[in-house]
Amino acid sequence: MQINEELVTQITHAILAQMGQDAEPSSKPVPSMAGHSRINDEKTSYAGYPKAKQGTDPKEVVIGVGAAFQREIKKTICGIPLDDVLKNIKAGIEEEGMVARVVKVLDTSDVCFMALEAAKLSGSGFGIGIQSKGTTVIHQKDLYPLSNLELFPQAPLMTLETYRKIGQNAAKYVKGEQVVPIPCENDPMCRPKFQVKAALMHIAETEQLDPELGIIEWEEE
Amino acid sequence: MKRSKRIETLDKRPVNLDGFINEWPEMGFAAMSSPYDPTPSVTVREGQIVELDGKKREEFDFIDQFIADYAINIDKAAESMAMPSLEIARMIVDIHVSRREILDIVSGITPAKMTEVMNHLNVVELMMGMQKIRARKAPGNQAHITNLKDDPVQIAADAAEGALRGFAEEETTMGVARYAPLSAMALLIGSQVGRPGVLTQCSAEEATELELGIRGLTTYAETLSVYGTEKVFIDGDDTPYSKAFLNSAYASRGLKVRFTSGSGSEVLMGNSEKCSMLYLECRCLYATKGAGSQGIQNGSVSCIGVPGSVPGGIREVMSENLVAALLGLECASSNDQSFSNSDMRRTARTMLQFLPGTDFIFSGYAAEPNYDNMFAGSNFDAEDFDDYNVLQRDMQVDGGLRPVTEEEVIRVRNKAAKAVQAVFRQLGLSPVTDEQVEAVTYAHGSKDTLPRDVTADLLAAEDVLKRGITGVDVVKALAESGFRDVAESVLNMLKQRVAGDYMQTSAILDKDFHVLSGVNTPNDYMGPGTGYRVEGKRWEEIKQIPHIINPKEL
Repeated sequence: MQINEELVTQITHAILAQMGQDAEPSSKPVPSMAGHSRINDEKTSYAGYPKAKQGTDPKEVVIGVGAAFQREIKKTICGIPLDDVLKNIKAGIEEEGMVARVVKVLDTSDVCFMALEAAKLSGSGFGIGIQSKGTTVIHQKDLYPLSNLELFPQAPLMTLETYRKIGQNAAKYVKGEQVVPIPCENDPMCRPKFQVKAALMHIAETEQLDPELGIIEWEEE
Repeated sequence: MKRSKRIETLDKRPVNLDGFINEWPEMGFAAMSSPYDPTPSVTVREGQIVELDGKKREEFDFIDQFIADYAINIDKAAESMAMPSLEIARMIVDIHVSRREILDIVSGITPAKMTEVMNHLNVVELMMGMQKIRARKAPGNQAHITNLKDDPVQIAADAAEGALRGFAEEETTMGVARYAPLSAMALLIGSQVGRPGVLTQCSAEEATELELGIRGLTTYAETLSVYGTEKVFIDGDDTPYSKAFLNSAYASRGLKVRFTSGSGSEVLMGNSEKCSMLYLECRCLYATKGAGSQGIQNGSVSCIGVPGSVPGGIREVMSENLVAALLGLECASSNDQSFSNSDMRRTARTMLQFLPGTDFIFSGYAAEPNYDNMFAGSNFDAEDFDDYNVLQRDMQVDGGLRPVTEEEVIRVRNKAAKAVQAVFRQLGLSPVTDEQVEAVTYAHGSKDTLPRDVTADLLAAEDVLKRGITGVDVVKALAESGFRDVAESVLNMLKQRVAGDYMQTSAILDKDFHVLSGVNTPNDYMGPGTGYRVEGKRWEEIKQIPHIINPKEL
């Protein structure tokens, strides 16, 4: 994340404390962020990027990534590099013989809507939404927005293997197979440990939205 | 730096795994008040509010407009707004001023004024307020009934045990959303095995939840979310008007329903408009009242990590519960989400609702081990049952639960599992084996149960929807397979929707299906010697915890 120094200190303290690691012992008070109205002072411009096309390939699964994905945010909430996340989802899709396409969603940071918009753009009608913090949904274009095929709400529990399986399952839905949903993971202590970090990451994502641009084609950097 | 062993020990305490952050009002990290909160004001012209909390009608967003048009008593506005906030705050804790008088006064104040009133009350005063302002005379409790496998047999068994333990309402949800019809059905059956009259709901996507309700597979609904800023509302594809419409859809079918809100959601979604969590939550509660809902689930709920991270956050959570009660709403007061790594901190947080009593102290309490709680963990779980019963006994407080015996637990779990097995067989759904029934009967959680055939279950769930199976089909299946008493109970639950009495504020049902609500059993607390007291049979029941020393066996 490109962020100012005060915030780095503040987040580092909050996060290290949450993850049970010892921060550098220090009696210095954490500086106040009061008065700041953004996390990243600069907003990335995507003017000039190609608008995402409506897909026609019936083998296609569209992956809709968050506005800050691979730019302001480079790792998920539990530290998995987003490059690897994307690589594994795409590999999962390809292993099942389907085709992946990545778009960046700039008009919403709500993961259900991101996934639904990806599904609507997809030639097969199936799509995946991923927030930069790692929260993921598999969606289908005819479902209600807040319904879904599979939802992985606890981003801190995600692994690269789960992301690969998400790609595989999305591809299996395209093929019309009877899909066994990926077993749920649950850690009741995720919330106390990670919710504040989740809020900060979501703010960092949301402040990068550019609804005028809508959805753009997104290739890996 | 050479480290102090004392500080090192403290650093390792569970409370230091929790997330804390400094106040940051620009991003909404401010609990009770923000320098950007509006100043209270109201102007009424020709029977219409034309100015609210510093905003002119033409500047209103849709929440302001909804509140101005439907949630404030215009006849009281001038008089109530002229009263100093401090005076209203004092009346809330004054035992000589009745609940009714206070509700009448606050019916005319604005969200910003309500925020100001709460800022005059400390946590003990907030609790004194809740003891008097809660709608129903006796407090109640609600359970979460879920598991990691979405196993309907376990749902039924846990629902039966939860009902036996005293929960008046039970709520389920799923890891895999498509399980909903089976989860709802299992919860309905299991709850009635444990104690007739327990209300059940299935938290799902709104259209699905409504459909399950209309079919009689659930007996109330709760997950109608409202938010404190327009942007977050829009992100949820909603407006206060659409929520009011959905509320009416339930009402038209005679179903009890409450809304859901809670501080921190606007912060989490990055759109707090720089206002305090309490002020935004007041807006949610006014929108809820304006939409005609009888009640609310609030107290930060799933966003508790956010108010929990800032100074005064837990005082704010109790304030929002009290605001709900002050608006005359049934309050299901959260405590339903894992909140702290510290046992001390999580217990202290719950005492604010437990000691004065709320309509539902938890919304809900995990009646399974937390690893099975599909709401991502509750503040208390099945492993805390005995602690909770002892807390009730220590303080002579009614927390809505009661001690049970192992024999009773095994009996109701087994009967509920068998009833679900029979209904699934009768309706031609996915099979339940005797081994599954046995495992679930004696299980603590899903680690002790057998795997389900998920594909078969999901096909069966789809089938329930396709074939139009309703609560009446469940009644028939129960009656035809020898579970006549359970069939009677489920039928009685369906009849409530025709009578409609349980749609009154804060309604629950006793074991004979009589409604106990804020209307026929109103809270009449006016200080010592009045209101609800833990005494008689209920006190004897609370005393009977397990593991009491028998002097003869020393």
